Amino acid sequence: MSEHVKEPLLRVEHLKKYFNTPAGTLHAVDDVNFTINEGETLGVVGESGCGKSTMGRTILRLHEPTSGKVYFEGKDVTACNKKELNDLREEMQIIFQDPFASLNPRMTVSEAIAEPLLIRKKFDKKDKEGLQKRVEEIMDLVGLARRLVNSYPHELDGGRRQRIGIGRVLALRPKFVVCDEPVSALDVSIQAQILNLMQDLQEQLGLTYMFITHDLSVVKHLSNDIAVMYLGQLVEKCSAKKLFRNPVHPYTLALLSAIPIPDPDVKMDRILLEGELTSPINPTPGCRFAKRCIYAKPECSQKNVDLVEVEPGHFVACIMAKDFHAKASEA
Amino acid sequence: MSNFLTVKDLVVRYDTDDAVVRALNGVSFSMAEGETLGLVGETGAGKTTLARSIMGLIPSPPGVIESGEVLYGEEDLLKVSERRMREIRGKHISMVFQDPMTSLNPVMTVGDQIAEVLQNHENLHTKEAQHRACEMLEMVGINADRAGEYPHQFSGGMKQRVVIAIALACRPRLLIADEPTTALDVTIQAQVLEIMKRLRQELNMTMMLITHDLGVVAQNCDNVAIIYAGEIVEYGTVHEIFKERAHPYTIGLFDSIPKLNEDVTRLKPILGLMPDPTDLPCGCKFHDRCQYCTEECKAHVPEMSQLSPTHQVRCIHWKEVAAK
Repeated sequence: MSEHVKEPLLRVEHLKKYFNTPAGTLHAVDDVNFTINEGETLGVVGESGCGKSTMGRTILRLHEPTSGKVYFEGKDVTACNKKELNDLREEMQIIFQDPFASLNPRMTVSEAIAEPLLIRKKFDKKDKEGLQKRVEEIMDLVGLARRLVNSYPHELDGGRRQRIGIGRVLALRPKFVVCDEPVSALDVSIQAQILNLMQDLQEQLGLTYMFITHDLSVVKHLSNDIAVMYLGQLVEKCSAKKLFRNPVHPYTLALLSAIPIPDPDVKMDRILLEGELTSPINPTPGCRFAKRCIYAKPECSQKNVDLVEVEPGHFVACIMAKDFHAKASEA
Repeated sequence: MSNFLTVKDLVVRYDTDDAVVRALNGVSFSMAEGETLGLVGETGAGKTTLARSIMGLIPSPPGVIESGEVLYGEEDLLKVSERRMREIRGKHISMVFQDPMTSLNPVMTVGDQIAEVLQNHENLHTKEAQHRACEMLEMVGINADRAGEYPHQFSGGMKQRVVIAIALACRPRLLIADEPTTALDVTIQAQVLEIMKRLRQELNMTMMLITHDLGVVAQNCDNVAIIYAGEIVEYGTVHEIFKERAHPYTIGLFDSIPKLNEDVTRLKPILGLMPDPTDLPCGCKFHDRCQYCTEECKAHVPEMSQLSPTHQVRCIHWKEVAAK
C-alpha cells in the first residue's frame, strides 16, 4: 500500500458476495480489496456480468455482503445496525443506470427531489416554503429549468431524467456516490452534458465517486484510478493514465484493444478474445481469465492469484505480472 | 456512382393524435455495390425510420411516406406490391435490429428460426433448411449442436450472432444493420464486427451500418452520412468526415465524445437538445444550437454544398466552419 497520511474515505477489504442459485454458488464479487480517497473518482470497468454493479450495491449494503469489510470514514459499514445504516445512507448514495426505470412515473420532478428530504426528515411536512426553496436550489444545481417543477418523468428526455436522479441523490448532501452506468442510456451529446455536470458537482461539493461503466473512454475521462474487473475479481488497478499507457494484465490489454478508435487512419491491432465470460457459478480455482488468455500456462489454473504491486500504486493479478510489466515498460 | 440503391427526397411523417412528427425531411443519397455506408445520428434523428422505409416496414398508420423514391436497381421499393416486397425482404435486403433480446422468438429454437427464412424464400424442405441453418450457425461462430436450443439459453453476443445468421441466411445483397452492437460489450462487439466484416467480404455484400459510435464507423465504413432532425447534414468518405468535417453539428458530435487517444479535462457538449420533431425550427434545423447562426440560417433551409466530388455539407457557413 502506498502511504496515505489521511485515512481513505472508503476502504474495502476482502469483500465477497455470493448468491445461491439452483445451479450452485454464484461468486458475483470474490475477495475484492481497494480504497478510494476523498474527492477522487475510482472507475470500475468490466464486461456485463462481471459483478461491477453487485460490488457497488454490496458496498452500500443494498446487498448484504457474504463476508469482508467496508470501512467508510473508518466506520465499519458491514457492522452497522439498521438505524446506523439509515443514517449512513445519507452520506453514501447511488445513481442508477436507467433514468427511465428508476423514477416513479407518478411523481412530479419536485416530488421526486423532495422525497428523500422528507423521508430523512430534513424538512417538516408543513414547511412547504422551505422545502420548495431547497428543491429549487437542487434543480439549479443539476441544471433543471424551474419551469419543469411540475412535470412528470414521461414528459422529459433521458438527459433531464438523469438530472432528476442526480438531484435526488445530492439532496441529502452525500460524500460518496456510486454511479452505476449513469450515462450509458444517453445519447452522446447529452452524455457529454451529464459528464460535465458530474465533474462540476464533484469540484463544487467535494464528492467522491465510484464510477461503474463498461465505456472505457468515459472512465478514462473521469477517473483518477481505474479498477478492471473480471468475473468478480479485480485483475488490475492503477491510475487512469498508467492503465492506458502501460496496461499489464492480458485481459486489460484485450479490453483496451477492442475499443474501436474514432480515427480511420489508425489501423486497429485487435487482440480478439475467444469465447465469452465463463460462468461465475462454482468457479474453478486459479486465474479466471486463464481459459481465454493467450499467455496461459498450466500453473495459471492451479492456484488463486492475488493482486501484486508491480510498481507503486499499480496492482496486477497475474502470475506473470512482473514479466509483463517489465516488457510493457520497455515498450 | 452506380445505382445499386438510390434514395431520393424521401419525406416520412407520423400522424399522431396530438401532432405530426416529421421524421424524415428530404433524404437523398446513393450507395454503390459493395460499399459500407455509416449512418450516424442521435436518438430521434430518423435513422431507424430511414432503414424501415427502405425495408417497407413503416407502420401505417401512423406512418405516411409523403414523397420520394427508394430505387433498388430499377425498382422503386415504395411502389412495388406487398407480395414483391415480401420476396425482396430477407432475400435481397435484410435487416439486423438493435436489440437481440427482443428480435428473436422466445418459443422457437434458433435453428428453426434460421430455417424459417430459408423455407420461406428458397422453398427448401425442412431437412435441408435445418442443415443450412446449422451451416449458418457455424458461419457466425456458434456450434451447430446448439441449433436445438432456445434464445434464452444464449448470451447477448450469441443472440446477436443468431440474428445476423437469420439476416444472412439467404445471402442478401444489402444488409441494413441498425445498431447491431450497441447492446454488446466491447470484446463481444469486436467479435461481432469482425464476423460481419468477414461475411461482407465473402458474400460481397453492401451494408448500411446505423450507429452512434464513431469508433465503429471509423473502423468499418467507406462512406458516412451524418443525420440530424430528419436531414442528412453532411456526407462524405470516412476520411473526409473524420479529418475535414465541416458541419457545426458533426464537429459538436465529435467534441462530445471522450477520446482515448487525447486528453481533455472537459468535454464540449452541443448546447441544448435535439429539436422536437413535431415542432421543427424553420430554416436550418440546427440553427438554435449553432454558434455560427446568422439571420439567413433561420430563414432558409440550406442546400447541400459540394466540397469535393464526394463531400457534401448542408451549411451556408461551411467555409468559415472548416477554417477553424
